[in-house]
Amino acid sequence: MGKTASVLLTITVLVGRGAAQQPFDQSKYPAFDGQWIRVGPIERYDPTRPGARGQEAPLTPEYQAIFETNLAEVARGGVGDDPVYRCIPEGMPRAMNLVFPMEIVIKRDTTYLLMENPSNLRRIYTDGRAFPTDESPSWMGYSIGRWMDEDGDGRYDALEVETRNLKNPRTFDSSGLPLHKDAQTVVKERFFLDKANPDTLYDQITTYDHALTRPWSVTKTMRRESKPIWVETICGENNLHVNIGNQIYMLNDAGELMPMKKDQPPPDLKHFNVPKK
Amino acid sequence: MRLLTTAVLMGLAWATATGAVLAHHSFAMFDTEHPIEITGTVREFRWVAPHTVLIVEVKGQDGTLKNWTLEGGTPSLLRREGMTAASLKPGDEIVVRINPLRSGAPGGSYQAPQVKFNDGRPVGAAR
Repeated sequence: MGKTASVLLTITVLVGRGAAQQPFDQSKYPAFDGQWIRVGPIERYDPTRPGARGQEAPLTPEYQAIFETNLAEVARGGVGDDPVYRCIPEGMPRAMNLVFPMEIVIKRDTTYLLMENPSNLRRIYTDGRAFPTDESPSWMGYSIGRWMDEDGDGRYDALEVETRNLKNPRTFDSSGLPLHKDAQTVVKERFFLDKANPDTLYDQITTYDHALTRPWSVTKTMRRESKPIWVETICGENNLHVNIGNQIYMLNDAGELMPMKKDQPPPDLKHFNVPKK
Repeated sequence: MRLLTTAVLMGLAWATATGAVLAHHSFAMFDTEHPIEITGTVREFRWVAPHTVLIVEVKGQDGTLKNWTLEGGTPSLLRREGMTAASLKPGDEIVVRINPLRSGAPGGSYQAPQVKFNDGRPVGAAR
């Protein structure tokens, strides 16, 4: 190696080390830390409107019909198309209905949204990467974010996020408001603090989905809890709702099946040697 | 032996917040339009996810005893409403307004503010 090349290599290594050791300046980021609790009713995509039909979701005629079939089943006491009773995660965008509290942790390359139900962990990559083409879909999806300095003061004001690569089944909420079966949902969000009250956080959400006639935008409001309580929530611990065939039953204290709906048939026991009476 | 609480099922036409959703998933199997009140003895209180479970032994109008299986909010929700795993113990005598299973089976859903000891004390603030 020549002397010049050796010097260049040394400089390159030093510059590289310098870049790697550059401290992460937390003060440039908004104060998203702490526990955030939903403001407004539980389990509504649009918190300003009543549930179910009251959401006035811009569904296509095909998906409005699917929703109506679901509501008829719910009226009979079924769970309809809501998959979450099986402990499947809410997925996006429903996770942001924020049934459980959430904590936000900002790191150099990733922002974490930690919800009390651990299945709802969100990783938002802010390192400039592109969406991958070979990732398996997931209920929380693949999120890429970008920090925005909107007033040019050298500090970030908002986090813009795009989420793709989502997995089904998912619904907008517990009423069974459907998303398209093709799972091509794209969710765009903008997180920012209230300028007058920094203990209020907003998440402006727009969902793009083929079940909709147009993008559907809502704003979620969250308040920072000054005395947070965290309770571990593992959905599989003691789920009393059991899916057998096309029926859902409830377990009683003895672990026996109880019907949920009037005149619900029992499970098919044809593969068991049931003594004839 | 502890004297079993006299329990009577009463159909009550509450038009209040009994229909409020307490779950992260559909609770349509519970009839929010026809809540009932049950009085009985706590046999078990499970402080578990995804929903707390309250087993209450109830004497029906025909005198027979039956365990009712009641689902409540998650420990997370109940903790914020002032309850803990120690708020109820076997033998406690309670009155609770529930939304019963639509099937008529002895099960239903409850909300923490609707659980009271027989003397009227709210369970959430009791211990």
